[in-house]
Amino acid sequence: MNLMANILLNVLIAFLIGSLLYGLQRKVMARIQTRPGPPIIQHLLHTLKFFIKESSFPYTAAMPFYIAIASMLCAIWVSAVIVGPVIEGSLLLFFGIYALQKIVEHNAGSSSGSPYGKLSCVRAVFSAAAEVPLFAVLVIIYLQTQTMVISDIINYQAVNGPLIFTIPLAALMFFVLILSKSPDSPFAITKGKDIVSGYETEHFGVLRGYLMISESIAWYMLLWVFLTVFIGPLGILGYLVGMVAISVLIAFINATTPLLNPNHSIMVQITFAFIGIVGSLVLMMVM
Amino acid sequence: MDEITYLIYIISFVLGSVLGLLLSYKKYNQPFVTKKIDPVALIISIAGWFLVVNSALLFFLPSFVSITLGLFLAALVLGMRPGYGRYETVIGILISAVVWLAPALL
Repeated sequence: MNLMANILLNVLIAFLIGSLLYGLQRKVMARIQTRPGPPIIQHLLHTLKFFIKESSFPYTAAMPFYIAIASMLCAIWVSAVIVGPVIEGSLLLFFGIYALQKIVEHNAGSSSGSPYGKLSCVRAVFSAAAEVPLFAVLVIIYLQTQTMVISDIINYQAVNGPLIFTIPLAALMFFVLILSKSPDSPFAITKGKDIVSGYETEHFGVLRGYLMISESIAWYMLLWVFLTVFIGPLGILGYLVGMVAISVLIAFINATTPLLNPNHSIMVQITFAFIGIVGSLVLMMVM
Repeated sequence: MDEITYLIYIISFVLGSVLGLLLSYKKYNQPFVTKKIDPVALIISIAGWFLVVNSALLFFLPSFVSITLGLFLAALVLGMRPGYGRYETVIGILISAVVWLAPALL
């Protein structure tokens, strides 16, 4: 298939599945909290709605940075789809994309001039300090498989079995990273309800639409990387089942756990990172 | 090619959900309080889930067509306004699962 067509196809699938999974998550959370909850399609409709809403720009916004940052967020997650499902490239590139995403979160908050955005911007720096150590998982994967290329990691697992059994603590670290990206998670301090919608508070219309598209693609990509790197070669149906299972599990956690305050959130994530790194290294030496 | 097929499945599901949501708001004026099963929704749900899960049994129809159609019908009921379509969907899944398991059990 033509490369451009392949990219477009994968981006569309990532956006649609990511949106539906977010919708499913809200539905499951609502049922746990004995509410009817919105339809599964709600997140997708919510995203599309912003493209027909009026786009207004705050007086305090730092132009043109304020506009560029929303498009950049979209661009970096489209790049993640290219690095991931399309070319099965290096995990290091994916790490770079995630780091960029944290910078964009920070700048989206600061560029709007809103006090909520600015608080979110500070929290984005906090959370990056906690989430980036979780990416030590890449080093552990490298030590185990001697490669960073996704296609080689898939081949390694086809021969040696899923990595989730050999480096389970690394899988747990990555799971915590995914959990932190979920909108209602205990670690979602950048978008906590106490700061309205965080860095998105002052983004309206098309710009908000771009941010929401990026979030859906990001969710799909994080789940895709988890399943690919820790479970191994899967068909499309396998990916779908895995993504639904992880999303439901995360919905259970979100529905039953309060949003932590920023300090606690960072400490819990760093504790997970510490246990994951030290524990994985010990396990690798012992086994 | 596989990915195009799955994209069509997803789009079929999304369209079914949107249509189900719109139609259900026209059909049901009240929130879900009476908790009755709607026979029309039940038939659509059973037909939809049957087509999705048991597409292999329908030898006269390509599985691609039956799954696309089935997902559309299943989503039509699953996507109805909050509360509605819940029982119909569960019954649809159960009946399809029983039909799917029947050859192995008999």
